Amino acid sequence: MQLKKKKIRSQLSVATASLLTTVASTSQALETTSDWEVDTSVLYYAEADRVSLWEPVIRLRKDFGDDSFVNFRLVVDALTGSSASGAIATSSAQTFTNPSGNSTYTTNANETPLDPSFLDTRAAINMDWEQPWGKDVTGNLGFNISKEFDYLSLGVSASAKWDLNKKNSTLTTGFAYNADTVEPVGGAPVGLTNMPVFPTVKQTMGSSQDRTIYDVILGWTQVMSRKDLLQFNYVYGNESGYLTDGYKILTVVDGTTGDPVADPAQRYVYEKRPDNRTRHSVYTQWVHQFDEDVLRVSYRYFWDDWDITSHTVDMRYRFEMGTKHFLEPHLRYYSQSAADFYQTSLIDGQTYNYASADYRLADMTSTTIGLKYGYEISDSSEFGIRIEQIVQSADPSQVIGNQSSQDLVPDIDATILQLNYTLQF
Amino acid sequence: MRKQIFLLLAALSVLIIPGCSSQPVQPWERDVLAQRKMQLDPYPLDTYLDDHIYFSKEASRGGAGLGGGGCGCN
Amino acid sequence: MRRNYSAILLVFLAVLVLPGLSQAEPTGSIQINTSNGVIELDSLKGQVIYLDFWASWCAPCKKSFPWLNEIHAKYGKQGFKVIAVNLDKDQELAKRFLQHHPAKFLIGYDPEGKIASQLKVQGMPSSFLIDRKGNIVSSHVGFKEKNIKSLEAEIENLLSK
Repeated sequence: MQLKKKKIRSQLSVATASLLTTVASTSQALETTSDWEVDTSVLYYAEADRVSLWEPVIRLRKDFGDDSFVNFRLVVDALTGSSASGAIATSSAQTFTNPSGNSTYTTNANETPLDPSFLDTRAAINMDWEQPWGKDVTGNLGFNISKEFDYLSLGVSASAKWDLNKKNSTLTTGFAYNADTVEPVGGAPVGLTNMPVFPTVKQTMGSSQDRTIYDVILGWTQVMSRKDLLQFNYVYGNESGYLTDGYKILTVVDGTTGDPVADPAQRYVYEKRPDNRTRHSVYTQWVHQFDEDVLRVSYRYFWDDWDITSHTVDMRYRFEMGTKHFLEPHLRYYSQSAADFYQTSLIDGQTYNYASADYRLADMTSTTIGLKYGYEISDSSEFGIRIEQIVQSADPSQVIGNQSSQDLVPDIDATILQLNYTLQF
Repeated sequence: MRKQIFLLLAALSVLIIPGCSSQPVQPWERDVLAQRKMQLDPYPLDTYLDDHIYFSKEASRGGAGLGGGGCGCN
Repeated sequence: MRRNYSAILLVFLAVLVLPGLSQAEPTGSIQINTSNGVIELDSLKGQVIYLDFWASWCAPCKKSFPWLNEIHAKYGKQGFKVIAVNLDKDQELAKRFLQHHPAKFLIGYDPEGKIASQLKVQGMPSSFLIDRKGNIVSSHVGFKEKNIKSLEAEIENLLSK
């Protein structure tokens, strides 16, 4: 009997509300006089033994002829599979209660417990208008909406670019605001309370939870030479409200042996994250053209008040092979330090204000290696195919006693395959 | 952390300030910068999809934002 | 390059930056290379000249070509001439562009941007209107369809003198 389980993919869903990244994409220098540009893509993403998804995207851009544009983007994604629930693998089989409270699922011994399997579909629409405001200023106003069965996100954004020094320098500012509502299946569990043994129902704090996010961006672009461009951005963000993942749990273990506590009703606890997060990024990108090839290097430093810091280095080199084809290898290296409330497991008897075993908040590194091939079909159309491999490994916050015989935070490998087609008419 | 930001800003000032004061690129010299492959975000769908993936796998978000460059026309 | 010009020219160049501020000033000795040989702007006195600066990579420049063909045809008999100076570093790109966007008006070539520098071109495309006496009376940066009417009004005004 397969119960339909609708899960919040809070991480993926909030990602769609990243308006400032969206706003970035509108400032394109098209080389043609066409009114319309259609950009379509299909992404296939698969983690080994975990989540996989299909994501078709379509983007339309209309040029009104007076330097004003409108952009429209529609994304649909269908996600299957599961992620680690936060409980750790142990030497015995484990039984968990489903979020709905209606059934249970079990994990074999020595296997990492995963959220129960599900199929979930999401749709998101993004629209923005770009308009000149005076001689050297361009303004942009955007709106986005993202919907899943149990999740809604609404957002607005506004930004402006000011060209200076014969357009050799550009100052940019932007602001984005998002309001999200999540409705976890079975209600949002009270943080750090126990996952009950079926058929007892979890303690909840209401069926619907809100979250507010806003971002402010300040940027500078500098033309360094006829063939060099340098970009610098600072982004400030704040998130408040329900920032917890209502499905993630932690295993409570004995402080000496590292084994889960004997009483199953005391064994698992729902995670709890602070209700506020302030974050900052500084980002820089350098674009350089050699004869025809293009090198693109970027670096981002991120830090927040959850004690997370990260470094992201990204490099691409576009080899032009004649006038119609190109090959672009890609390398990305990412490393982050854990949130101060990240705990791989909780020690019985210890008190915690906040705790999460979500591996996304752990000490982690991720390396991506990829290759893109592009083909210019005509002056107004282009085709591309991209394949990437991501290797991600995280470290536990502590390894206690018998836990050393388990892979507490397994590595996750993922493959990306993307096809895209752009047409101007 | 503050030291790292200061160093980054210092490094960038060293790069940017000479760019500001030296001969700027003239409006008719923007042939290379006008190309799609020289834009700050030449393939916005690729960027969107990647950002989405990394955001759902990592704790960090954001950074790239808006920018200038391009042909500088009109 | 700048030292070739008198102080008066420098003053009028500063004024040239502001569109709509028309101060009649001489063009100086501007020589333009065309496929028909070198043209001295001074030798065209008596005609109204629309001096345009364009490049193959400039999208608004492409949009302006149909209109340039129109005004060339419409006002030519009244003593009006369009000279579109190309600024591509690689003339092959200009020639390819012209195959796709044929021009009935005169095309000049300034691959090193010498004339563009002389006239302190501020953006792409740029156009200068020169009256029958050989004075640059106005300049415009960029091409927008909504400005066509006022541009034609300016041309007609100059043609009537």
